[in-house]
This record gives sequence, C-alpha cells and structure tokens, in this order.
Amino acid sequence: MIKIQTPISKEVAESLQVGDRILLSGKIFCGRDAVLPKICQLVEEGRLGEYGIDLEGGVIFHTAVSIAGVGPTSSNKPEIEGSFETLSKAGIRMHLGKGAISQDTIDMLEKNSAVFAIIPPVTALLGENTDSQKCVAFPELGMEAFYEIEVRDYPAVIGAAHGKSIY
Amino acid sequence: MGYDNHIVEAVRDTLVQAGSTFRDDQKRAYRRAIEFEVNDTARWTLETILENAEIAERNRSPLCDDTGIPHLLLEVGPNRAVTGEMLDAIDEGVRQGLRMLPGRPMAILGEGVERLDQHLGMDEDPGALEPAPIQIRKIDEDVLRLHVLMFGGGPALRGKTLRIFHKHNTQNVTDELVAWATENTGLLGCTPCVLAIGIGRSQYEATSMMLQAMVDGTFDVQSELEQEITNRVNAVGVGASSLGGNTTVLSTFVKIGPQRASGYRVVCMRPCCCFEPRLASVELSAKA
Ligand code: SF4
Repeated sequence: MIKIQTPISKEVAESLQVGDRILLSGKIFCGRDAVLPKICQLVEEGRLGEYGIDLEGGVIFHTAVSIAGVGPTSSNKPEIEGSFETLSKAGIRMHLGKGAISQDTIDMLEKNSAVFAIIPPVTALLGENTDSQKCVAFPELGMEAFYEIEVRDYPAVIGAAHGKSIY
Repeated sequence: MGYDNHIVEAVRDTLVQAGSTFRDDQKRAYRRAIEFEVNDTARWTLETILENAEIAERNRSPLCDDTGIPHLLLEVGPNRAVTGEMLDAIDEGVRQGLRMLPGRPMAILGEGVERLDQHLGMDEDPGALEPAPIQIRKIDEDVLRLHVLMFGGGPALRGKTLRIFHKHNTQNVTDELVAWATENTGLLGCTPCVLAIGIGRSQYEATSMMLQAMVDGTFDVQSELEQEITNRVNAVGVGASSLGGNTTVLSTFVKIGPQRASGYRVVCMRPCCCFEPRLASVELSAKA
C-alpha cells in the first residue's frame, strides 16, 4: 500500500505502476460531466486564478458531492474522459474514477506524467475519511459543482499508467 | 392530514436500513467470495466493499452516494386489509426515510415531457423522490409485510427485458441469459453483481417477477439453474470492479412465473450492483 499526499509531484506520479494500491490524502477536487468541460474552458481562457484554483499536482475525483456523500461515476463518459488532456496539461496528476478508458487517453496520460486511479464506490467509508468540503466554482450546478474536499487515506488502485491499463 | 405514525415510522426506519445495511446472508456471501478470490486486487475490492458495509451499518449512512429509487413490495395475509390511508402513510414513511438516510436529491422537477431532458433541474428535497408503483402480493402468513428496495442507476442502465425463444429446450433460455449477463456485467463497473431474473408472460409480469426474485432470493441457497448461470458468468473473469478474478457474480436470483403457451419467454434481467439488493423488510401493524 503506497501512501500518497497531495500535491503530487511529477516524480511521484511517474513512479506509480498499474495495479499499485494507494491510500490518498490531502486536498482533492471533485467534478463530473456537468462541470469538467467548464473547468477546461477556464483553463483554456487562463481564468482559473479568478477562482483561486491551482491544479498543479492535483487530483480530480469524478463524483457529485451531495448530502448522501461522494462516490465515483464512470470516467469514460465523453465529457469526463474528454477533460483528461486539458487538465493533465494544466497540472492534474491523478484522475480518480471508475471504468475503462481508451488507449488514446492512456497514452496521453503517460506523456503528461499523469495517471488514472480506480476507487471503489464505497461512500460510507469515504465519508468517514473526508474532513472538509467547499464549493470552489459553479455553485449553481448544486451537487455537480466543482468542489475541493480534504481527505484521509482514500483507497484506490492505479488503473492506467505508463501506457498500460489494468482492464 | 394525519398519518398513521406506526406505519410512517416503521417504513422510514426500514428504508434507512435498506439503504445502509447488508443482510446477513449478503455478508456471508462476501466473506466466501473473499476467501475464494484468486486475484489480489479484486480481493482487496471485495474487502473494501464489505468494510464499507460495516461502516454504513454502524453509522446508518448510505452504502453508496447513488442512494437509489425506492421500490416497494407489500405482502398481504388472508385477514389483512389495505386501505388508501395506509398507502398514504407508507408514502409518507418513504419521504421521511429519504430525508433521514439521507437520500441523494434526485427528483426531477416538472411534469411529463419537461422531465425528459431535466432542464428544470432537481428538487433539493431528498423526500421529493417518488417511489415506483407499489407491488402487492398475497401470502399465507397472516401479516402485512412491506419490503423496501433501493434501486441504483447502474443496474437500471444495464438491465434488459426482452423475449427469448426457448425452442422447447430450457438450455436455450439459460444460454441466452448467460450471454446477456456476460455482456452487462462487463459494462456494469460496480461488480460483483447479483443477477435478478424474472420470467413471465409479458414485460410487466417478467419485471414483477424480477422484483419478487430480489425479495425472495437468498445468497445461501441457490437452485441448479441459478448456480449454473453464476458459474458460467464467473468463468469469463470480469471480476469485482471489472479488475479480473473469479467473483463477477455473487449469486443469481431467478423467479419463474406462469408461462404462456408459445415459443418465447419474456425475461427481465437486472444485473444488481455490489450493494444490491438493498433490501429491508418490516411487518406493519395499523394503529389500534
Ligand atoms: S451501480 Fe450501485 S454501487 Fe454503483 S454507483 Fe450505482 S448504486 Fe452505487
């Protein structure tokens, strides 16, 4: 079990291999289909700073944030997988979700020193390991807004790294 | 309106239990699967899912953030009566249960066609989520028993209701079921799965049988047909969270209803996800 703390350096991201089990701690972002294209647009327009968002070394967890808690949605939905490249280039080192992603995306991750990790849908356990949450952009999207949460020991397994996939 | 509080509270607590608690036979099935799993990563996933269930039960908090759509089966004994007021009290219990769990706010605003593209958004009240139409069946025991099931979105997306041509050989039906299950467990993501299968004379009856299969099925006792389907799907090796290994399906629950004199069977298959059937049951007693 490898302990990972955010922000994640390039070296740490590059050291991860498919099948490695990790425990993830620190601040991570949460967003899914509704908000990730909007975040990508902010990146492209160079406007992330207006929201006080710094993606360097960051993690994006593909989840809604509701009163019921958090849990992964399928990462291969077009709007989610479509965000990987822009966000990796902007400094995201780990995309956290579930489901198989395409070989093109896997190759792109490798070029940008980023990985894809799979987290089981264990909402109750994640709830116990979440210390705080705050909405950082697009609050009008409700549970689909862009959140930053602080977590301890989120369990995950590396699903894609160095051009290879666990599926 | 004055609801019967006995019923409201019983339904409320049963819904919370359904959304937060593994049944004992479900826990046993997980422990057996963990013992026999050959793939390390898949075993870790199974252990994490079981640990999640222990935490959810302890905290009475949701097993999954997709807390599901309530589906109800009401069993009525020979001398029991069901009134409209009672059904209202059950609905109120569901509302309160969804607020207490808490359920994820998932009720789509608007009427009719407005709901299709959800452009009006969602109601923030978790209790605004309507349960599916209640199913009623007679039983011999002289009680009124309500089963509450919480249906997640993944299995609804991967489920299938269609005719199968039996060609006068059960094996043809079994083979087709295995093919459906293999395809859809591969896409489900949240495996291990429980295959809930209903077979009837119409789409309506098959789906009704599927719901009853989820209520009546047990992880501890499997028929020959159920075991065959489980074994054959597991042989494909999708595994827990699609990570490989030998636990794609934990159990199969089949309910066969009356059949039509014809060459086909209407089959409903719901590939229930790793937390399902999220089911709890309660005997209701009306106020004195
Ligand atoms: S399929 Fe089941 S486990 Fe997966 S997100 Fe939906 S309810 Fe949760």
